[in-house]
Amino acid sequence: MNPLTNPTAQGVDAVLIYIFGVSLLLLLGITVATIYFVIKYRRSKYPEPTSEAHGSLWLEAVWTLLPTLIVLTMFWYGWTHYLGLRDVPAGAFEVKANGRMWSWQFQYENGRTSNKLYVPTGKPIKVKLTSSDVIHSFFMPGFRIKRDAVPGMESYVWFQAPETGSYDIFCAEYCGTGHADMITTAEVLSAEDFERWYEKSAAATGVARGRELLEEHGCLGCHSFDGSNSIAPTFGKLKGLEREISHEGLEQKIIVDAEYLRRAIRAPGADLVEDFPPIMPAYGDEISETDLDEIINYLLEGESKPLIDGNKLIEENGCLGCHSTDGSKLIGPSFKGLGGRSSEVKRDGQELKLKVGADYLRRAIRNPGHEIVADYPAIMPAYDHLSDEEIEAIVEELLKK
Amino acid sequence: MSESTTYTGFWQESPRPGILGWLLSTDHKRIGIMYLCCITTMFIVGACLGLALRLELIAPGVTVMTPQTYNATFTVHGIIMIFMFLIPSIPAAFGNLLLPIQIGARDVSFPKLNLISWYCYVIGAILAMFAIFGGGGAPDTGWTFYVPFSTQTSTNVSLVAFAAFMLGFSSILTGINFVTTVHRLRCKGLTWGRLPLFVWTLYATAWVQVLATPMIGITLVLIILERTFGAGLFDAARGGDPILFQHLFWIYSHPAVYIMILPGMGVISEVIPTFARKPLFGYWAMALSSLAIAFAGSLVWGHHMYASGMSDFAILIFSFLTFIVAIPSAIKVFNWVSTLYKGSIELAPPMLFALAFIFNFAIGGLGGLALGAAASDIHLHDTTFVVGHFHYVMFGGGGFALFAALHYWLPKFTGRMYRHKPAVISWALLFVGFNITYMAMQAVGIMGMPRRYYDYLPQFHTLNLISTIGSWILAVGLIIMFVNLWQGARKGRPVGKNPWGAATLEWTIPSPPPIENFGAEDPVVTKGPYEFKGVVADEY
Repeated sequence: MNPLTNPTAQGVDAVLIYIFGVSLLLLLGITVATIYFVIKYRRSKYPEPTSEAHGSLWLEAVWTLLPTLIVLTMFWYGWTHYLGLRDVPAGAFEVKANGRMWSWQFQYENGRTSNKLYVPTGKPIKVKLTSSDVIHSFFMPGFRIKRDAVPGMESYVWFQAPETGSYDIFCAEYCGTGHADMITTAEVLSAEDFERWYEKSAAATGVARGRELLEEHGCLGCHSFDGSNSIAPTFGKLKGLEREISHEGLEQKIIVDAEYLRRAIRAPGADLVEDFPPIMPAYGDEISETDLDEIINYLLEGESKPLIDGNKLIEENGCLGCHSTDGSKLIGPSFKGLGGRSSEVKRDGQELKLKVGADYLRRAIRNPGHEIVADYPAIMPAYDHLSDEEIEAIVEELLKK
Repeated sequence: MSESTTYTGFWQESPRPGILGWLLSTDHKRIGIMYLCCITTMFIVGACLGLALRLELIAPGVTVMTPQTYNATFTVHGIIMIFMFLIPSIPAAFGNLLLPIQIGARDVSFPKLNLISWYCYVIGAILAMFAIFGGGGAPDTGWTFYVPFSTQTSTNVSLVAFAAFMLGFSSILTGINFVTTVHRLRCKGLTWGRLPLFVWTLYATAWVQVLATPMIGITLVLIILERTFGAGLFDAARGGDPILFQHLFWIYSHPAVYIMILPGMGVISEVIPTFARKPLFGYWAMALSSLAIAFAGSLVWGHHMYASGMSDFAILIFSFLTFIVAIPSAIKVFNWVSTLYKGSIELAPPMLFALAFIFNFAIGGLGGLALGAAASDIHLHDTTFVVGHFHYVMFGGGGFALFAALHYWLPKFTGRMYRHKPAVISWALLFVGFNITYMAMQAVGIMGMPRRYYDYLPQFHTLNLISTIGSWILAVGLIIMFVNLWQGARKGRPVGKNPWGAATLEWTIPSPPPIENFGAEDPVVTKGPYEFKGVVADEY
């Protein structure tokens, strides 16, 4: 581990090193003495003990007083450095952190919110903690700080990062199913980068407001966009979806619409989706009506402009060098009319005919050598550096062409 | 247990035949054996759950169980190991078997109460099984039941809380019985200065059981009230306080740690003099330090709460008191090691387990110093370092003391000796496996891995993998040990009164002991418990 240069970690580490160091010496002494005595005074050599000592007053006094002195230094050292974790330097930059099952929301003085903690380097940061459901604990191992976020109570931690970088933030107090996933990072930016981030309004980020709200409120801690159902049902393809729910104990089928989504956010206990535990907290005042409309609109319609621009990725990754969009044959097959086209491919030496769909395209990008289109050379590199979201965006665009 | 024909003593003599002779018996040895069977079963169940937890942590992500299953598994592992194994293990099982004999009595003061306490334990254990396997799902709160989570989750928390309440009653009744027995039933000549250390530690423990257990009883009832009627005691929105729960919980549950470890220290204080053939070094320091640990240990519960939002002044006081408890524990370790000096040391299996205890307990205790100091605890709190630390104390300490007790006293109560070679092999595997498992766990905690995580970041992988491999070595050691002890109890070579050449009273009566322990005449004690001059070990 690199020696840490931030003030809170240096204080705690000094105590840790002192206590672990003394402990190691004591352990070594006890162990060596034990092993030495056991070997030296073995019964085969000494059939009877050579001492009948019942004790020794001065020896016992020594090893009562000595440990007392040692542990009192440990106590005092630990206490004074603990005070260092509590005394926030003047002029600290304040951020509010709210824990909830199972994500953090950070709120800055100018009203900006985020699900990662963005802070500038070189400035003391005071994080004011609270929770909207159960007890969580804000833990940044890189800074050796930890404090519980308790509902109805406010407490704080402070830290200062001398260098830019990304530092883990864990929830350290057990809080239910998603406890281990309640992880985020502190993004320590240079003063200028932070200023730019801090001043940038939501609209300028290019992210749809609905999506941003979902992130801020921690929805994505449990709900995915990619169709996977982990703790909670996915947000993927919600519009018009037929879903089995239980409403006051009765099972019924409903079609997902704005009305349903509104209920599911405001009062999640009312309609429970089959096969999922009833764990979602109700979102009341913290989401305003206008924000709720944004969220519902986003969940149903997606965004007018995709979050990740598939066309841009197609250009940036050089796809068009080999694939045309007008039907002409270049080094690779044309993108034109891909959706629904049937194509002859060779897989493991066997020829087969398949229909081009999203699944096929995902494979063809991730692992192009697996299925080679007839009459084309197997030269396409695997694009495995693309994220799942990026691939989805590309596939979506390709199917439209 | 075994139906072997050579089994004599209390195994055969009973006013009632067959199984009723056990279930309705008020004989302290039969009750002790029944406790021993129960806690061994619970230990095996708990150990299997622990192995499953380690298996899940072999790699990041979901490997063998879903997050919810993992949460239920560590909760049930904790509840079983603490309330159904550790708390009753040495006090209830070996305490019952030995306390009356070691003080020269024919039974405990209240034999019927003793049987009732066993039934409380069994009812509690059965209720807990219903809570675990019944509809609603196994509890997923962790054994600590922290509010508000425990008042919100839909799993069987109320039932398991009630089960723990019953188990608590069992513990209180045993405590009352032991305190009274030590005061009233010591035989002629057995002054306080001649009590075996095991009795001293049971006595200190019994006081903690009587005084602290009601706290957890009340706290658990409050949880049930909160869940059933929404009492609002711990709900900040209605003027309650979630931190109050933590205080109430730890006021019992920290002293409970000493219920788990003190009798283990007593076992070690019996084993080491016997196999060094030398009086225990610093008898009075050992006896009084047991009382000091029990007393001071009841005042340090707040050290579980440095990060909770408790006031800084409270942290100052609790941290100071925590370091005070370290002193009597240190005295004990130094005195055990000094007992070895100029002794005549035989490395029989009980002695090996006792020496392993000293090493493990020293690591556990020294690790506790880093947790007692306010600054370092802030980093280590709620990481796997804490999990490793309390396993060093509870398993490496309490567990290994139980293993030492099993190897030391089972021949007394079965009348048969297990084989020594497999016992030494199992000891070596347990010692190595234990230290790999929990040292790796402590190390990954220092790196910052929070506890109760089924999934973790890649930087924690190597140490978790090592820890899981260690748990397999540990498991093999446990299997060999239990099989060997079982075979020894059934088919081992018969032993005489005193196979180890020990000097306390239980070694002066036949193995297995007869129903009222001592013949027509009550024993008279004329010397201390560790005067080995003239004591000769029986061949076996």
